[in-house]
Amino acid sequence: MALNFFDQFMTPIYMGIPLITLATLMPRLTFLQPTSQWTTSRFSTLQSQLLNSSTYQLFAPLSPKSHHWALLIVSLMIFLITINLLGLLPYTFTPTTQLSFNMAFALPAWLATVIIGLRTQPTHAFAHLLPESTPPLLIPILIIIETISLLIRPLALGVRLTANLTAGHLLIQLISTAMFTMIHTIPLMAMLTGTLLLLLSILEIAVAMIQAYVFVLLLSLYLQENM
Amino acid sequence: MPQLNPGPWLLIWLSSWLIFLLTIPPLVIMFKPTNSPIKSLTHFLPDPWYWPWP
Repeated sequence: MALNFFDQFMTPIYMGIPLITLATLMPRLTFLQPTSQWTTSRFSTLQSQLLNSSTYQLFAPLSPKSHHWALLIVSLMIFLITINLLGLLPYTFTPTTQLSFNMAFALPAWLATVIIGLRTQPTHAFAHLLPESTPPLLIPILIIIETISLLIRPLALGVRLTANLTAGHLLIQLISTAMFTMIHTIPLMAMLTGTLLLLLSILEIAVAMIQAYVFVLLLSLYLQENM
Repeated sequence: MPQLNPGPWLLIWLSSWLIFLLTIPPLVIMFKPTNSPIKSLTHFLPDPWYWPWP
């Protein structure tokens, strides 16, 4: 049993090699390589169908100019979904529990959307800082608030993903520790805790996929605002 | 919280972005659907929705 429940989130380094890089390479290995055959296997078809339908869902509401971002955003989505799901397996390390990992994707992407907005349509970008039909007295305060909310976006993106996954993993560890402790003394309570653990695991699978999608959806919304 | 240790931040920041860029987009672009059944590495889509990149 871990003495400190947060030890599972320490960046693993084995013999000087940071294992987070190895964990980051895992998503690539879980995907099928397309073959040169004309009719591919069911898995390959399913994989391409999922990719295409999720791309369509994300980019249908966006202007055609924003479609240049499709490759980056869809790649990010499947990358995060795979990392999150692989992290739910026992004895694996989840890179997306590291704030630095999530900020590495959130900050540059958000900054890129802001820079694009300021370069291509600066008036429109600044107009987002003041909602329509604001009372004149509130204008200065609202501009300050909207600027702060704009600047806090990358932090919110990164911290949202980190916090959701960290909390999920912590809960799983806590409840499984409790179940393990109680199984010899109060078996009935341990069984109930086990049921709770099963439901929590199902929830965590959903959260893993949803949080990755939300990350990418928000990025596409920020892009839509600025393009 | 170990996530807030500043030690591995730069390594994680750089390596994650680099690994992501080098591994996933090449994979995704292989599944780009086209209207031509000969050139496409995936199955031929009956509804050729324009894949949104140049």
